[in-house]
Amino acid sequence: MYRQVPRKTIFTFIGPAVIGLAMVGIAPLLYAVWTSLHFYNLTKLKRVEFIGLENYWKVLTDEVFWQAMGRTFFLLGTALPLQIALGLIIALVLHQPGLTMLKTLGRLSLVLPMATTYAVVGLLGQVMFNQKFGVVNQLLGGANINWIGDPNNAFFMIIFWDVWQWTPFVALVLLAGLTMVPIEIEEAARLETKSNWILLRFVQLPFLVPGLVAVLILRTADTLKLFDMVFTLTRGGPGSSTEFISLMIQRVGFRGFDQGLASAQAIILLIITIVLAQLYIRVFYKEV
Amino acid sequence: MKMLRNISCLTILLSFFGTIAFASGMVWSLKEAAKPYEGTTVDVVFLLRPGYEAIEAMLPAFEEETGISINIIKHPYENALGEQVRDFVAGGDLDIALIDLVWIGNFAENEWIVPLADIQAKFPDIVDPDLDIDDFFPLVLNAFGGWNDVVYGLPFDNYSGLLFYNRCTLQESGFDTPPQTWEELKDVYGPALTGDGKYAFALQSKRNETQSADSFARMLWPFGGSFLDADFRSNLNSAESQAGLKFRQDLMQYMPDGIVAYDHAETVNAFSQGDVAMITEWSAFYSTVVSPDTSKVADCVEIAPEPKGPAGRKPALGGFSLAVASQADEAEQAAAYLFIQWATSKANAREYLERGGVPARQSVYMQDGLEDFKFVPALVESWQDGVPEFRPRFAEWPEITEIVQEWGTKIMLGEVTTEEGAQEIGTRMEDVLEAAGYYSGDKPLAQ
Repeated sequence: MYRQVPRKTIFTFIGPAVIGLAMVGIAPLLYAVWTSLHFYNLTKLKRVEFIGLENYWKVLTDEVFWQAMGRTFFLLGTALPLQIALGLIIALVLHQPGLTMLKTLGRLSLVLPMATTYAVVGLLGQVMFNQKFGVVNQLLGGANINWIGDPNNAFFMIIFWDVWQWTPFVALVLLAGLTMVPIEIEEAARLETKSNWILLRFVQLPFLVPGLVAVLILRTADTLKLFDMVFTLTRGGPGSSTEFISLMIQRVGFRGFDQGLASAQAIILLIITIVLAQLYIRVFYKEV
Repeated sequence: MKMLRNISCLTILLSFFGTIAFASGMVWSLKEAAKPYEGTTVDVVFLLRPGYEAIEAMLPAFEEETGISINIIKHPYENALGEQVRDFVAGGDLDIALIDLVWIGNFAENEWIVPLADIQAKFPDIVDPDLDIDDFFPLVLNAFGGWNDVVYGLPFDNYSGLLFYNRCTLQESGFDTPPQTWEELKDVYGPALTGDGKYAFALQSKRNETQSADSFARMLWPFGGSFLDADFRSNLNSAESQAGLKFRQDLMQYMPDGIVAYDHAETVNAFSQGDVAMITEWSAFYSTVVSPDTSKVADCVEIAPEPKGPAGRKPALGGFSLAVASQADEAEQAAAYLFIQWATSKANAREYLERGGVPARQSVYMQDGLEDFKFVPALVESWQDGVPEFRPRFAEWPEITEIVQEWGTKIMLGEVTTEEGAQEIGTRMEDVLEAAGYYSGDKPLAQ
């Protein structure tokens, strides 16, 4: 027997949360939309004026914006498959029976990279990849590799740190997916085949798909807004080699003070993120 | 009766001398001037640099004498502009503006800072009769604190580019003196001092203000180049500017790998560790390279003016002034002025220097006993030859410096030629200036 809950009660319970969310989430977004339609430079506030879609046109025709976007997707395209591959291997290892103590320790140690603040990762990188004193060159037999000052090496360094920090997250999500596979089904499959690949492809993978989709969405969004680690490590350099889209937006908005243009860039980035998330859900859930 | 007469005479005499003394400002004291503002707190942004540590160490004396508290908010250089702009736009707490010479046009045009004369007129009782504004190096006062012939700030943390060299390394290679010209540095000293993991020179070129100020601009002026011509159009593809930029490319063979990732800290460190024989750095880093705590080559450090180019010495010029913020209330403005006046005063200049700061007072450099401060002769000479527009000081600089940083680094990395890079910077720079209204006549050509 259900009784109709009065509307007033519903509003009383949900209202504060909705108002809170609107204030911290929706209002800044609306303000960003408003500034993106204006010439709005913090150092020229006397000249604020409505300019329609001019900022958007400027962004869409700006070569530098698309280069930064390309760089960001290249990072996503290289780091994410590595994270998924390594994460899956770690998850499968941890899913094996036995060695309980070691597996517990392994799970705990997986949390450490994720718990490290992005900015601290960048600062660690500066020290560890220092050409002269860094431990990385020491471990490579006293190599004299210029990591931070070389565009390609700097990009590789960013990939390395992103993979280091977020592979454990992927591993934990996939491990959670593996624990969802009913034991009886897995055991029955093992009686049918000795191939781990077949077991993974036809038995375990369907249970991993929801987790993988979540990983894809979260990691894509995270990569598109990757900022702190790169800012402290390379500040987008050398040149523009590690200037990802979020660093560019910060540069335009907070170093060039052009909030209007930066807002337009951010809105376009938001649209791209939403489209990608929708795409992931449609494509991968269809497969399931 | 006689006693009464004596007392009257004494009173008259005291009144007479008191009046003269008051008129000539002799009785002015910081303590008395600050009395109405006792208990006021003044908020100011400081950088993480030696000059700021020096004044911070001296601060207890000021706070004790005046009862004014100075609340210091520390930021690295790269954050200081953004933090202040946001504070001023939001009507925040800052009572003093810390102004790099390239920010002053921006701050003044936005009326975030108050002209010095206005403050002095508003609070005549707090003006130290011994302020002696003419004692500041004119170039420094004009460049760091002035905008459109109005003085806003008093020079506080003052820099000139200097050549820091390792005398021991140079002598080992047979050089008794530092290079006199940039060409000599490259062609004679460069090959002799580079090898076995050691380098002749390091030019800090990280993609931030360091790239545009310390690297790009440093190579323009001595070769006769400049950012803009008289019509405010790009001058970066002129023969002189190109000569400077090409020289920088050639000089890179004598610099450490990855020089585009070197900021001040890395450059000073490379010099202090003995890996680099010469650097051109701000005078403010003197105390770091001569301290045995932070430098392996402290005993070998010598200072000279920057080398000359075909157009003369034209050393890098940079530094900060302090100005009263317009958003501060009356008591805070007065207290802020008192602090600025005290921190930049003649009376405190010597102590500031000895604690690691670089004052802009001419009088302090005429005093005896400055032999330990090896940078003084070079600094004084540099401040005679400096270019106030070493970097254009107008309000559009924050946008332009971003362009220079991006393309200046691309030039250094060889991703574009000096001509292509200069063309790109020039086009984008002119777009910014056009949008600002310089070409339509809405805005007068600033410099």
